Amino acid sequence: MDSLLPLAVAIPLLGAAGISALTPLFGNRRRVLDAVAILTAAAVTGLLVTIMLSTADGQRVYWFAGFTPSHGVALGIDFAVDQLNSGLAALTATLVTAALMFSWRYFERVASYYHALMLVFLAGMVGFCLTGDVFNLFVWFELMGVAAYALTAYRPEERGPIQGALNFAITNSVGAYFSLSGIGLIYGRTGALNMAQIGQAITGHRPDGLVVVAFVLILMGLLTKASIVPFHFWLADAHAVAPTPVCVLFSGVMVELGLYGIARVYWSMFGAGLGHQGAITAVLLALGTATAVVGALFCFRQRHLKRLLAFSTINHAGLFLIGIALLTPLGLTGAAVYVIGHGLVKAALFLCVGIVLHRLRSVNETTLHGRGRRLPVTGVVFGLAALALADLPPFALYLGAGWIGQSGDARELPWITAVIVTTSVLVGAAVLRVAGGVFYGLGDPPSEEPAMAEEASEESSETDTAKSRTPLSMIVPPIALVALALAVGLLPHLGELAQDGAVRFQDQAAYNATVLAGAHIAHPTALLGPEDTSVTTTDVVTGVGTAVASLVLALMALYWRRLPVLRRGFEPGTGLVGPIRRFQSGVVNDYVTWMVVGLACIGGALAFAIR
Amino acid sequence: MTPSQRRWVFLVAGGGFLAFYLWGLVGLPGFGHYPGPYGDIINAIAVSQTHATAVVSAVNFEYRAFDTLGEEFILFTAATGVATVLRHLREERDTSAMDEAMNRDVPATSDAIRMVTLAFIGPTIVVGWYLTSHAQTSPSGGFQGGIVLATAFVLVYLAGQFIVFKRLSPVALTDAIEAIGAGSFAAVGIAALALGAAYLSNILPLGSTPGAVNSAGTIPLISFFVGIEVSAAFILIIGELLEQTLIVREGNR
Repeated sequence: MDSLLPLAVAIPLLGAAGISALTPLFGNRRRVLDAVAILTAAAVTGLLVTIMLSTADGQRVYWFAGFTPSHGVALGIDFAVDQLNSGLAALTATLVTAALMFSWRYFERVASYYHALMLVFLAGMVGFCLTGDVFNLFVWFELMGVAAYALTAYRPEERGPIQGALNFAITNSVGAYFSLSGIGLIYGRTGALNMAQIGQAITGHRPDGLVVVAFVLILMGLLTKASIVPFHFWLADAHAVAPTPVCVLFSGVMVELGLYGIARVYWSMFGAGLGHQGAITAVLLALGTATAVVGALFCFRQRHLKRLLAFSTINHAGLFLIGIALLTPLGLTGAAVYVIGHGLVKAALFLCVGIVLHRLRSVNETTLHGRGRRLPVTGVVFGLAALALADLPPFALYLGAGWIGQSGDARELPWITAVIVTTSVLVGAAVLRVAGGVFYGLGDPPSEEPAMAEEASEESSETDTAKSRTPLSMIVPPIALVALALAVGLLPHLGELAQDGAVRFQDQAAYNATVLAGAHIAHPTALLGPEDTSVTTTDVVTGVGTAVASLVLALMALYWRRLPVLRRGFEPGTGLVGPIRRFQSGVVNDYVTWMVVGLACIGGALAFAIR
Repeated sequence: MTPSQRRWVFLVAGGGFLAFYLWGLVGLPGFGHYPGPYGDIINAIAVSQTHATAVVSAVNFEYRAFDTLGEEFILFTAATGVATVLRHLREERDTSAMDEAMNRDVPATSDAIRMVTLAFIGPTIVVGWYLTSHAQTSPSGGFQGGIVLATAFVLVYLAGQFIVFKRLSPVALTDAIEAIGAGSFAAVGIAALALGAAYLSNILPLGSTPGAVNSAGTIPLISFFVGIEVSAAFILIIGELLEQTLIVREGNR
């Protein structure tokens, strides 16, 4: 059983190498490559689901090369697998499988590089999820980064992809360098790279400058990957140019992995040693709220469908960070369920946009108005996914939002629910506006300022000519993903299972004992008392209310010019064009400058709180 | 932001970061005071446990071999990424190079350079191979040796023989060799699993004498595969980039 753990990384790596090595033999027989890649990803998915189910009764630890720790010192590298990280890895593999299936008919010409890069990307993300060693975490972080940069630049014959990929690569590499220097600092203090061992070494001492600085520096790369304001600028640029199946992975899981990394680094290394939970909550809540608000506002104003969905991802990343920032089991439970629901639904939305691009050769909401009526099935899937994104029960997302809100209420932060609902309404309305306008021709086509219109039509097609029908291999994956999001939402005992995982994730003493001493902890103790995870009427009402409000706002946006009471010629969100163009400038120097500003602010805030 | 605004914002924020960073740096142990247990333990046990006298190699290819596997695939992915980005540009004609005056031929390689580089090719291969195959005995290994081996191919180019360089390393073949090197490393781990040991365990006999070339089990084997992967990756990257330059030149003629 335990030997399955290394296979989750080794199989996709071998698959990637195998595809590259065999290309000279198979040359033009592209279906062979497609089939090998899909089968590999599907096998990894099955493997990870099996692993996830096996973690229900306790954490599993695997020591590579068999070097188990002696006297609390780890000589080798371990995988420390619990419900949350194996679940996230399983979600990753599911989305990679869906994206590869979608690619079967999507690209006209595709070189073997695509499949190899996708499988390496998968291996990097799975390794990142499962590892228990902070340097190993960095290695997989870099591996998934390099694969992601190359995939972003997959259509290099145009200028856009190179620019987007460069912005992505530079900002994320800068973040990674900060992270690496943070790892170096904490190694200089503890002489350890194993997260549990580092945690044990710094627990019980007063946190000094080195510990705080190392924590903040390690967070830098993760915050950048998680597209948290002000480290988020690369995301929309990269999404706008990356091939659509790749966007599925960026939005669906890669961003969320950055957040997982923050949670992992906090609860496995720094949590007990740092103390000062109030200050950490405050800093992370501020970052999360700013991210949620900025993402929602920019999302509402977009006409470029991929950028619109990218900003919606930024909004959700902020909401997930709020869930983590509460430092409660219920907050983390909510974030975990929210991540799974969002990953499935956002992947489906991107795949639908891919179908639109495949059939109608545009991702510009203005020019697409009403033309989506030729795609009835895609329209229904997109509409359902949009409602799910707006927290409509019983899709899984409303549960996550509800639990984060409840945990906020319990910690006397009732405004958190307000942030979740208002930003979700804005994002839901933006996506529903697209659904109504593009697929059903409702309302008027938005009149557009030339600047934004130019940006929205920069996308050229990934397929050479418009297609007259949608292949099954393209429409089945989004349908399956939306159905899966529904199934997760209806899963009995979902809350208890997820909270069980969250409590285990947050019990740092139990994690240390399991990793370093091989203990088996059947019942970890909750950091704070476990909270009720039953589905309350409030959750359902809030979810339905958010969805209805989104629908109303979407209709208002569509029929804006026919509303009698409003000022003529006024377009909603006009005031946002300036900020969008000023901050989302596409100049990577600006982006890195904002990252340093963010770093200085976070560092300053924690320094004053903890010194 | 205008460049001057950006400069000011960066200077202020960078100053704040610097102060913060220094606050962390002063917490490091003083020079010469090694606090951690890791190095002491490894120094004490590595030679007897792995029969490798180069302890750094023992850490790279055994204790933390899983990190090395990931790093090797980072290089593999980077080379694949370069090939991906440059793939379509082969037909491209660009007009950017500075030294491309009209009616002027690219200067021919001088006989002196040709002579010296050709003379160096043989020794370079020997040194590269030595480094790759002696990871277990001396500070070396596949990463260093692979780079040196790749240099031998670059010397062929320096000698003015791009055609020979390309004939020695066609893209598809280099790609395949690179993938075989990377995949074999991952497969060594699987072999351990098949024998019931943990992934990447040292499953081969360690040899009786620590420090002998034929000692240390899988360490030289992994180093060999890494050497193959690294040299192929660099040949691929250098070849793709050189081809770009040549295309630019041809386009300008």
